[in-house]
Amino acid sequence: MFRLLARSIRLYLSMVAFSIRAQLEYRYAFVMNILGWAMNYAGTAVTMWVLLYSFQAIQGWTYWELLFLFALSVLSWGLCIIFFFHFRSLDQYILNGTFDRFLVRPIHPFLHFMASKFDVGAFGHLLFSIIAFILAYHKLALSWTLLRWLIFFAALLGGVLIQGGILIFISALAFWTTRSESFYWVIMFPAANLLNYPLSIYPKGFQWFITFILPYAFINYLPALFLLGKADPTYSAVLGLFSLPVGMVFFTICLSLWLKGLNHYQSTGS
Amino acid sequence: MSLIEVKNLSKTYRIPKRQAGMVGALKSLIKREYTTKTAVANISFTIEAGEMVGYIGPNGAGKSTTIKMLTGILVPTSGEVVVNGLIPYKERQKNARQIGVVFGQRTQLWWDLPTLDSFELLKQVYQIPSKRYKENMETFNEILGLHEFLHTPVRQLSLGQRMRADIAAALLHDPQVLFLDEPTIGLDVVAKERIRQFIRKINQERGVTVILTTHDMADIEKLCKRMILIDNGKLMYDGELSKIKERYGSQRIMVVELEGDTPLTLDKVTLLKEEGSRKWLKFDARKITPAELITKLSGQYEIKDLTVKDQDIEVIIRHLYERNAKLVENK
Repeated sequence: MFRLLARSIRLYLSMVAFSIRAQLEYRYAFVMNILGWAMNYAGTAVTMWVLLYSFQAIQGWTYWELLFLFALSVLSWGLCIIFFFHFRSLDQYILNGTFDRFLVRPIHPFLHFMASKFDVGAFGHLLFSIIAFILAYHKLALSWTLLRWLIFFAALLGGVLIQGGILIFISALAFWTTRSESFYWVIMFPAANLLNYPLSIYPKGFQWFITFILPYAFINYLPALFLLGKADPTYSAVLGLFSLPVGMVFFTICLSLWLKGLNHYQSTGS
Repeated sequence: MSLIEVKNLSKTYRIPKRQAGMVGALKSLIKREYTTKTAVANISFTIEAGEMVGYIGPNGAGKSTTIKMLTGILVPTSGEVVVNGLIPYKERQKNARQIGVVFGQRTQLWWDLPTLDSFELLKQVYQIPSKRYKENMETFNEILGLHEFLHTPVRQLSLGQRMRADIAAALLHDPQVLFLDEPTIGLDVVAKERIRQFIRKINQERGVTVILTTHDMADIEKLCKRMILIDNGKLMYDGELSKIKERYGSQRIMVVELEGDTPLTLDKVTLLKEEGSRKWLKFDARKITPAELITKLSGQYEIKDLTVKDQDIEVIIRHLYERNAKLVENK
């Protein structure tokens, strides 16, 4: 069991290394992809600043607190896409028949597919979010104990699992519908933008939905409540401690749906 | 027990009916109707270790679907498949170690990486011992000339090079069975010959069992003793290639070009095709010899040009496809 795991991880890492080298083949695109995303987020951060300049605070959140919220969401998303971003286009792999090859190799198809791509665009997300995080950390004069840091990393990991779970969920639909990428633009993309602001500005029903159904709130809002010592009119900050378990459960559900879909897989003709 | 056993194998696809227009699209969102298409219907055959079998049929006959069930990609709707004691779709990863697969239409290699990298990665994926890997690379290199393009990214390879690389990649881990789905598609004569030579060698020297689908009958003639022919998902013929030639060997095609646009009526001859003054005539050499036919023709018409096509397996196959008759021969 342990040997199998060790082998899988080793194999994963070398496949990832190959994937990075493949993307380095296109050096210009490689650099632009990273810079593009970093610039994109910086643009959003500036917009926020302009907004806050006239309003001072949104629902009691100052600019640096909002930036913290934003950085946390981008950071976990950045880590997530390293592993899972290409899942959104599983439908393309299925339609043009390239998915077949994941089924004729002595590796589990899920691991194989996961390892097949390592999105360097992630570095752009990480570049921005780490700088933004450091800035916010200093401006808010936070000085965390080890326990706080652990809570932070657990929340980060939970966020990766939640968003990874959603990407896997979306890709699983491709096994039945042979179309999945459109779901990404419907579910994931708007949600990512909504996460930039405190949950409390949204209608109650929606808050409830993204806390208990699609657990987006556990990615950044609830952990930020706890870590920044803020209060929400409806939700207790203690919920912020549960990101990791929520992420694990949610991810497991999505993964099992994916595996179920795999059995349903109908290859394309010829 | 045979190496490959296929028993009453069937595969039906459920295809959602797409309706035309916006209203139709909305309708099918709510309620989907399905049509079922039978790709493979009740096929049975066995293949012994070391055999080289041509699996042929027209487009959409169910060749690829069968191959995909044998390799574990697809789950059969009903029936049994056993490859070397394993049920492919149930034990995909185990099965993957004993088979090699080449899909001529798309590569299994890493598109953006130098060819050598793909081999190195496969070495890790299949846990091939370094010594064996080196030996195999040397042997394959000898016949396939891999060294010419080992450092070129796969996307820049010519079709022939890519196919050579793909076949080598499928054999690196010493599989017992090799599935080749249209390995010579789109290749020139030289490249085709090189690939055939390699396949023959692998089969003879290593005893690798080969199942090959193709549209090029020359592949079959040059490589396979046995041929399995399917059409519309049904088994049409399973037996020796030479037998089928004997049976239909007396059919000939004559292409004549006649002066003027004269209508043609001849006994014992069927007109296959007509393009202006060029006519394709099919006849049975046991009933009328080519010489007799020429005499007859020249008596009635002015012949400008004439060729007799020798018995071509391609013609026989076309004939079989057209007849669509059930011809299952007991081996």
